[in-house]
Amino acid sequence: MTLSIVLLILFSSFARAEWRFEGETGVVYNSNLSNSDRSADVRDDWAWRSDISAANGLQLTRDLRLNLGADMRGEVWDRFDAFNTIGPGASAGLRYRFGLGRQAPWVLLEDRFGYDRFHDTAQSGYDNVLNFQTGIALSDRIALEGGYAFESFVSPNDFYDRQVHRGNARMVFDVTSSLQVTVGYTYREGDVISYAVPPRPDIARFSIEREDQDEFGQPLRTAYKLLGRTHALSFSIAYQLMKYASVQLGYEYAITTHDPLQYENHLVEANIAVAY
Amino acid sequence: MRPSRGFVVLTVLVFAGDLLAGSLEVIVKDDKGRPGSDAVAYAVAAGAASAAPKKQAVVDQRDKQFVPYVTAVQVGTAVIFPNSDNIRHHVYSFSPAKKFELPLYSGVPAEPVVFDKVGFITLGCNIHDWMIAYVAVLPTPYFQVTRQDGRAVLKDLPAGQYTVQVWHPALKGQPEALAQRIDVGGGTKSLLFTLPLKHDVRAKRAPGLTTGGYR
Repeated sequence: MTLSIVLLILFSSFARAEWRFEGETGVVYNSNLSNSDRSADVRDDWAWRSDISAANGLQLTRDLRLNLGADMRGEVWDRFDAFNTIGPGASAGLRYRFGLGRQAPWVLLEDRFGYDRFHDTAQSGYDNVLNFQTGIALSDRIALEGGYAFESFVSPNDFYDRQVHRGNARMVFDVTSSLQVTVGYTYREGDVISYAVPPRPDIARFSIEREDQDEFGQPLRTAYKLLGRTHALSFSIAYQLMKYASVQLGYEYAITTHDPLQYENHLVEANIAVAY
Repeated sequence: MRPSRGFVVLTVLVFAGDLLAGSLEVIVKDDKGRPGSDAVAYAVAAGAASAAPKKQAVVDQRDKQFVPYVTAVQVGTAVIFPNSDNIRHHVYSFSPAKKFELPLYSGVPAEPVVFDKVGFITLGCNIHDWMIAYVAVLPTPYFQVTRQDGRAVLKDLPAGQYTVQVWHPALKGQPEALAQRIDVGGGTKSLLFTLPLKHDVRAKRAPGLTTGGYR
């Protein structure tokens, strides 16, 4: 009986579903793509990154919304094309809002499953991210968001398998109707791959696995898989260009440690985002 | 039966008032001198009882936006909220002057919403956070929403003294603080209002940085 009611609601909602199309394209710069601790080993690069998606929003009840989406993501790196990637994904998310209006607190449970095909095909694999987010507006200009995500990447080559836990908190500030600013903090714990020119017995001692790789050309490097803890601070700005488009700029400083190894990343992003 | 002397005097005064009916042009600027569009200019006659509201008003929902952004009505007016989109909307108001909710619907709701208390009402859609509009419920039939150039003309004002006020969704403070008095007779008079406005922080439709709103 309950199942048939749920199916009836779903069916009637599908008939009135609302499509949403989004696209994002831009550049990203990573000051330490190789995740290296010694400056001589550090390799930076920038990439062109794009993401398109189509999602179907189903308002199941006043407060509960189901989103089903499909997307395609891609990255093309300037120098280190082994990291070029493209892949489709599908997502499902349930958002519940505790009351009416944009200031009501909300929770979102979302899962995205995708396939990432790398130019260096050994790195290719399946990516699953389970994401729990929550948020509340403190006023009509300030909102707080926080959440937890579990990310699992499974590759035919076990070396590239990764499991990551991520917690985040951020504040969103509407400066004007066109300008939005966020400040955020992310804690990440899980597998990382750090590249270094051997010999590095100090890293080898605590790495889970290691492989010799040529992603960064000569001299050949060793890729060390290890458990790392990352603290990241981020700052981003979105400016509404027109009704359906905005330009977004972001910066993140991340520091990853597995004592005694420690490396830093500076990430800079500039995107144009469109939603219809 | 001969009309009484009092009836004749009243009739003459009414027609004389109509003959002297005038117009009032209200010019609205913000505190930086820019034209103040979407402001509501309204004139309240001194000591006169207001006529009953005459017609129904419409606030449509088209392309996931309320149209118009600002609506002015006389107190007691019924407003209908048709949904011209092919998706559902969920209209609500938390404003003290009129709290209501039109749960998820398509087409035209069966009943209009009667705005029976003077005040300024903020409308929202629970599905699309960027959808915001305002209804100014006024104690007078003499009002107009300013155009893009910040001007509004109140026509056919019977001769007399009026208190003129201007309200805007982003107004800092109350409209009473900026009220102006004016005597209206024949012809057109003009009033300038300079409004202190808050930053416009309406939710954006373009993709932003928040995750909770639309998703």
